[in-house]
Amino acid sequence: MTDLIQYLFNGLVVGSIFAIAAVGISLLYSVLRLVNFAAGDFLTLGAFITYFFSVTIEINFFLAIIISMGAGMAISWFLELVLWRNLRRNKAGTLALFLVATGVALMLRPIIQYVFGTETRKFNVDILKTYDFLGARIAHTQLMVLIFGSLAIMTIALFMSKARIGKDMRAYANNPSLAAVSGVNVDRVVMATWLISGALGSLAGVFQGLVQGQFNNAMGDTLLLSFFAAVVLGTIGDAYGALAGGILLGLFMELSQLAIFFGGVPSNYKPVVAFATLVLVLLFKPEGLFGYRTRKV
Amino acid sequence: MEAFIQPGFWVFVLTMAGIYGIFALGLQIQYGVAGVMNFGHVGMMAISGYTIAVLVIKYEWSFWWAALAGVSAAALGGALLGLATLRLSGDYFAIASIAFAEITRYLILNADGVTGGTQGTLAIPNPKGFGGYTDQVDVILYWIMDRLYPIFGDETSRDMAMLSVVWPFLFLFIWISSRLQKTSWATVLRATREDDDVPASLGKNVFRFRLQALVIGSAFGGIAGVFWAVQFMLLAPEDFLRIVTFYGWMILILAGATKVKGLAIAAIFFGFLYGATRFLDFWPISELSSPERAYLRIFLIGLVLVLLMVKRPQGLFGKREEMVLE
Repeated sequence: MTDLIQYLFNGLVVGSIFAIAAVGISLLYSVLRLVNFAAGDFLTLGAFITYFFSVTIEINFFLAIIISMGAGMAISWFLELVLWRNLRRNKAGTLALFLVATGVALMLRPIIQYVFGTETRKFNVDILKTYDFLGARIAHTQLMVLIFGSLAIMTIALFMSKARIGKDMRAYANNPSLAAVSGVNVDRVVMATWLISGALGSLAGVFQGLVQGQFNNAMGDTLLLSFFAAVVLGTIGDAYGALAGGILLGLFMELSQLAIFFGGVPSNYKPVVAFATLVLVLLFKPEGLFGYRTRKV
Repeated sequence: MEAFIQPGFWVFVLTMAGIYGIFALGLQIQYGVAGVMNFGHVGMMAISGYTIAVLVIKYEWSFWWAALAGVSAAALGGALLGLATLRLSGDYFAIASIAFAEITRYLILNADGVTGGTQGTLAIPNPKGFGGYTDQVDVILYWIMDRLYPIFGDETSRDMAMLSVVWPFLFLFIWISSRLQKTSWATVLRATREDDDVPASLGKNVFRFRLQALVIGSAFGGIAGVFWAVQFMLLAPEDFLRIVTFYGWMILILAGATKVKGLAIAAIFFGFLYGATRFLDFWPISELSSPERAYLRIFLIGLVLVLLMVKRPQGLFGKREEMVLE
């Protein structure tokens, strides 16, 4: 029972990080048909910028998080202006988008390594402080992530359903030409999507850094496929689905360690649970949990 | 600038270029002919290389049978990947193929009793107690080195022998592949690249054609794995990171996806980019430490990929129309 509570709690923490990262990826796909291979490195960048401001320069941790979210947005804004907009105008195909996203990831990682070094980092928070909750050990950092993560998820959901630009985004994702003739400003929608995904990437990176305790420059990229699994599980292109898919995947990965599943999957095989989820969804329900079947061939 | 006049530098660069050229040839058949976007190609190279290492070291197979088994295993890997996921649309298949390669690497990493785990093939339990898997090939390489010695003297190296083996094979494979692309099989596939319905209405099983292209391409990935295994004499899981697939893609895009003959030149260009950052020693590169240069290489490869796709998506030798249509 204690195990169950512990894994359930861990799963919710990990899942909220997946949800935040996955919703950025899913939004970008729905609006731009772009699978963002650079998403993982944006997480790493967010964590390192926060580290720089909060530990090296010693300003307030929360302020540092906000600065790093701003930096994530600024880089996304810059790339949209110099890169993605041109590709759209040139009617670049799927492969071009894939390879450019990969190229961006390949450029970003060495820059992070060059600027911030390769050493393992940790934030200036007490990673050893834990609370006791019904026998389960809950780390202070986990609790922070769960509280602020839930707030972020609720904000995203509200934004998508209530804000004008959020509605425009969903309209454009559903039917680009119809949205365009109904007066949706396409460039504005695309830019908003990039800004949101940039901010969420940084935030997810800080959360992941907190939960791991220590992190290095490979942190985000290692998780990329798990994010894709969450995105596909929640139906690719569906923002709410990505939130749900992220949380579900987090729960799967943690609960798989329970003894009732083949005596408990060893914790170093947790990534395999994510990959297996991805493969199983692709095999049996490629439209995801919330989609309907439109595939052909 | 000293590195430029060191023959060892060029020999290494060209050998790697040849191996990556064969690797990229697999992608060329898959994408250039069939329009299949495989981002897990490195998995095929890993499967082939590790199959060889395990069969020779642990089960004491002859290298040649092991190499055949390695290439077959890679082709089988392609078949499994394709049967499971090739019916999905392009984006999904791309993600599925990456997952395939990552799962492969993860299994290799964690099945340490068989593969040696993080320590690589040196840690494979060896019934003889010592020795690698290249002994039988090395006999041939030494024979070649003996023939090269009168010409190159003390500059003669194992790399040089590898170079003289790899490149004839690359040209042979390019020739085979360009013959293959003149067949009616390739014509059907090229038609499916643009539209599924027309070839399907002519009674062609689009899925089966694509699957065949995926399997053949994977076999080439496996062949590249054989050469890779021989070149380095040991394998480790981190040799087969996701980025390696994109090395192949870069060569393919440089050459122009449909231009099989440009592949050799593109491979040399890539080999230079790959090797140059390691060996060149003039300012400003001389200011960087050796690990920093490894990042510089990755950065340059990213930069070239982005610039190519923005400025010249058809590659150096390709036709723009063939690239833009998808």
